[in-house]
Amino acid sequence: MPDATTDFLKGTLDLMVLKTLSWAPAHGYGIARWIEQCTDDVLQVEEGSLYPALHKLEERGFIVAEWGVTEHNRRAKFYRLTTAGKKHLAASRDYWARFAGAVFKVLETAPAPR
Amino acid sequence: MHDPQQAPAPNAARAATWRRYLRFWGPRAEADVDDELGFHVEMRAREYMARGMGDVEARAAALRRLGNLAAARSECVAITSRRERRMTRAQLVDAFVHDVAYAWRTLGRQKGWTFVAIITLALGIGANTAVFSVVNTLLLRPLPYPDADRIAIVYLEPTQGNTTGVQMLVNPNTPTVRAWRDGSRAFESMEPYIRDDRSMRETDGTISVVHTASILRTFPEFAGVRPLLGRVFTDAEAARAERLVVIGEPFWRARFGADPQILGKPMTIDQHPYTIIGVMPAALRLPRLGGDATDVWLPLNLREDAMGLSVIGRLRPGVPIVDATRELDRVAASSTLPGAPTPDFRVKLTPPSQMVRFRASLVMLSAAVALVLLIACGNVAHLVLARTATRQRELAIRAALGASRARIVRQLLTESLILSVAGCIGGLLVGWAGLQVLVSMRPASLPELIAARMDGLTLLLTAGLSIGTGLAVGALGAFSAGRHSAHDALKSGALSASQSRRQRRLRSLVVTSEMAVSMVLLVGAILLVRSMLHLQRIEPGFKAAGLYAIEIPLHTASYPTPAARGAFVAQVHERVAAIQGIEAVTVSAGAPPSRSFMIGGLQVEGEPNPPAGTTSFIDYNGVDPNYFQTMRIRLVEGSTLARYEDDSTQVVVNAGLAKKYWPGKSALGRRLRVVYNGKGDWKTIVGVVGDAFTGGLTSEAADPMLYMVNRELFQPVLIARVKAGFDPVPTIRAIVSQLDPMLAPVTVSNLDDAMKRSIAGPRFTMILLVSFTLLALVLAAVGLYGVMAYSVAQRTREIGIRIALGATRRDVARSVMWQGTALALLGAGIGLFGARWGSRLLEHMLYGVARSDAASFALGAAVLVGTAALACIVPMRRAVAVDPLVAIRAD
Repeated sequence: MPDATTDFLKGTLDLMVLKTLSWAPAHGYGIARWIEQCTDDVLQVEEGSLYPALHKLEERGFIVAEWGVTEHNRRAKFYRLTTAGKKHLAASRDYWARFAGAVFKVLETAPAPR
Repeated sequence: MHDPQQAPAPNAARAATWRRYLRFWGPRAEADVDDELGFHVEMRAREYMARGMGDVEARAAALRRLGNLAAARSECVAITSRRERRMTRAQLVDAFVHDVAYAWRTLGRQKGWTFVAIITLALGIGANTAVFSVVNTLLLRPLPYPDADRIAIVYLEPTQGNTTGVQMLVNPNTPTVRAWRDGSRAFESMEPYIRDDRSMRETDGTISVVHTASILRTFPEFAGVRPLLGRVFTDAEAARAERLVVIGEPFWRARFGADPQILGKPMTIDQHPYTIIGVMPAALRLPRLGGDATDVWLPLNLREDAMGLSVIGRLRPGVPIVDATRELDRVAASSTLPGAPTPDFRVKLTPPSQMVRFRASLVMLSAAVALVLLIACGNVAHLVLARTATRQRELAIRAALGASRARIVRQLLTESLILSVAGCIGGLLVGWAGLQVLVSMRPASLPELIAARMDGLTLLLTAGLSIGTGLAVGALGAFSAGRHSAHDALKSGALSASQSRRQRRLRSLVVTSEMAVSMVLLVGAILLVRSMLHLQRIEPGFKAAGLYAIEIPLHTASYPTPAARGAFVAQVHERVAAIQGIEAVTVSAGAPPSRSFMIGGLQVEGEPNPPAGTTSFIDYNGVDPNYFQTMRIRLVEGSTLARYEDDSTQVVVNAGLAKKYWPGKSALGRRLRVVYNGKGDWKTIVGVVGDAFTGGLTSEAADPMLYMVNRELFQPVLIARVKAGFDPVPTIRAIVSQLDPMLAPVTVSNLDDAMKRSIAGPRFTMILLVSFTLLALVLAAVGLYGVMAYSVAQRTREIGIRIALGATRRDVARSVMWQGTALALLGAGIGLFGARWGSRLLEHMLYGVARSDAASFALGAAVLVGTAALACIVPMRRAVAVDPLVAIRAD
């Protein structure tokens, strides 16, 4: 169900990016790889939307970008979580947990007797 | 570990450097995004290659994985650019707030300096604001009508024989106006009107004067005004000469207490009953400046022939005035109506602003205040330069701490802008006060000045001048600051020798310009003062003290014929002559300072007939035989006029006429006549009288003047000579109202005052120019003082050394004074040329003094150099007081 995966990802991409960055600053490719590895390649980041999402987060002040050098001495743009981003992540995480819980409940519940 | 794939190619390195350089100038969103995405593709490709894909294959797979690359790229670019723009804006606002706060603190630290700069600016800008308010009201928007740029006033002017150099304009008659209104396509509308003062009977039976205007139904529409109440008369009502009136709003409020039920009420004008059918707002005005508001609007009947109509018209869009003139001429010429104009007259269309009497003076005064502002700018420039010099170290420290040059320049400009905003506010205050003074000083001949207002355009000009001044001066300061290196400034306490030389040159240049500009103003002011002195010294040729003119407002309704008027005036004459305090009374066609004239060509015996159609104004007065004794006009030869007869062939001329036609010979017994349309009776000269300024002190007394007996006067005036200390006004008023209680109060005016008023206009102009010149001179002197004081302070050590080496105090004093006066002399020299050129603006404003008058120029230079010397005294004292021991050891 690739379609479902994509839709599902779109809503949660921001959240996952922020979560990824909460451990350490990373560049776009690093973020994509991290998400893939974390989910055992179940979730493949749709790269076409990853970069616009990063730029939007930067615009909203949740992350900041700066040019740095990778361990292979290659110039890359690194993103770092800001305080605002941390707050947003916490809030979104709670919301997501409640939302996911609710959805899960609906899916697991047997039809109510009439 | 070194991966050869990762090694940046030399080209790439260069590109990166170049990009960094570009980034210095602004955000490069596209390049950043491309870098970022390129990196991603490369990393992904490496990942695939590690899994065993080939080079090309891996790259293609990586690209595929990225999906729609172009869309992602453009979205990223858009977001980033938007963010960067916002950041730049925020940074700018932040920097501006910081600059303003910093400038505010710096200015506050030097209160004296700031105060002087603001006052100087306020004076310079204020003078301009005040004068521009007048220019704006009188010249730019003289008439309150829509599409004012297409409005023209329509006159006729004679085609031949006007050799006086003064423009002669006459009003067209009714048939002509009718022909124009029917036949002109160049005009969108053409509105004739007649202004007249009439008498009105109040409810308590007393009589008062009302200012009336007879207009067509279309005039309010032309003026862009609708009735406040009721309506305007229709064409049919006007043609039937129905007695209907529309009253003006001020009149309605003052006389009828703004009665809302006014429509249909009666009103008595010139003893006829009229019905009020409408009220017009105060905005409806005749095309004349100042003067009294129109009380009553009456229907004008164009079917009825009137003597002369004032005409104003609005041209169709895009029609040049020349074409319209030609068209009206053609229409008038082709008209077969009786009374249409002869070829002796041609149409003269004039834009309203050209009719402003004060025009030349206003243009000249505008130029003068602009010069004052230049001097004020010069002074502020001095202050800024001196301050920049003393702040050199502060600026150098800021530069050393990393402030960019642009940042420092911006800082200096911000300071100047704060100054100019303060100068603008001060200028508005000064301008407002100046305008009040100007309006309250207005001469009686310029009632329109009262309309002068400060409006949006004035505010805009003031703000523009202030900001422009601030920027110019700030740029000068920044320029001079930017040229010094931080290193030099930090090293030495004061400026280095070369810097101070450059500064001094710049400051000398500014002060010399100020002196030159002052010179121009000084010469102009001196010329006007000399002209005024001349006017005041004039022997008018008659004795105005003790003379009163009595003008009786006889309306045509009760006194339809000249004979009826003459009979009434004769009655008044007789009774006034019988008053104890009256020495003599005489009847005249006019009283000074106005003259009557005849139209035609003057022909003296022996000369050929003047060309047909010659039309010039020949000064003339219709008088009683005792006119000359009453006026005390000197008899040069012959005798005055004998007792009047209607067919009298006697004429008395002035000495100027006699001298012009028969120089060195007697004019007695010679004959002359005034020819109009080929007709004119010969008159014999029986006497020659002295030249008299009966047309006012600014008129030409020696211009040919004829005195003839004339009993058929249109509006005769009584002139009475009164014994010292007697006030004839109440008695005369009582006599006239006894004879005809229906008459409005008579005007009794003191001719001495009237003659003085005839030079009130020139005096007003003179006072204004002198005031502006004094302001300019003070500012320029302050400027010179500043430069000299600064120069002496800079040269303290040098002066000390000189004194130590044996220079006397006198030498030092001479050196300082010479330095100052040399600048003034140089300025005066340059100013001479400016004044020579600028005095053109005084053309037609000078009496009894040429505009190239050498004495005035010399006096101007002397005053300028004298003022400069005064300004140098304090710096000179300081220089003389230098103690060589202290001066050399200092610093």
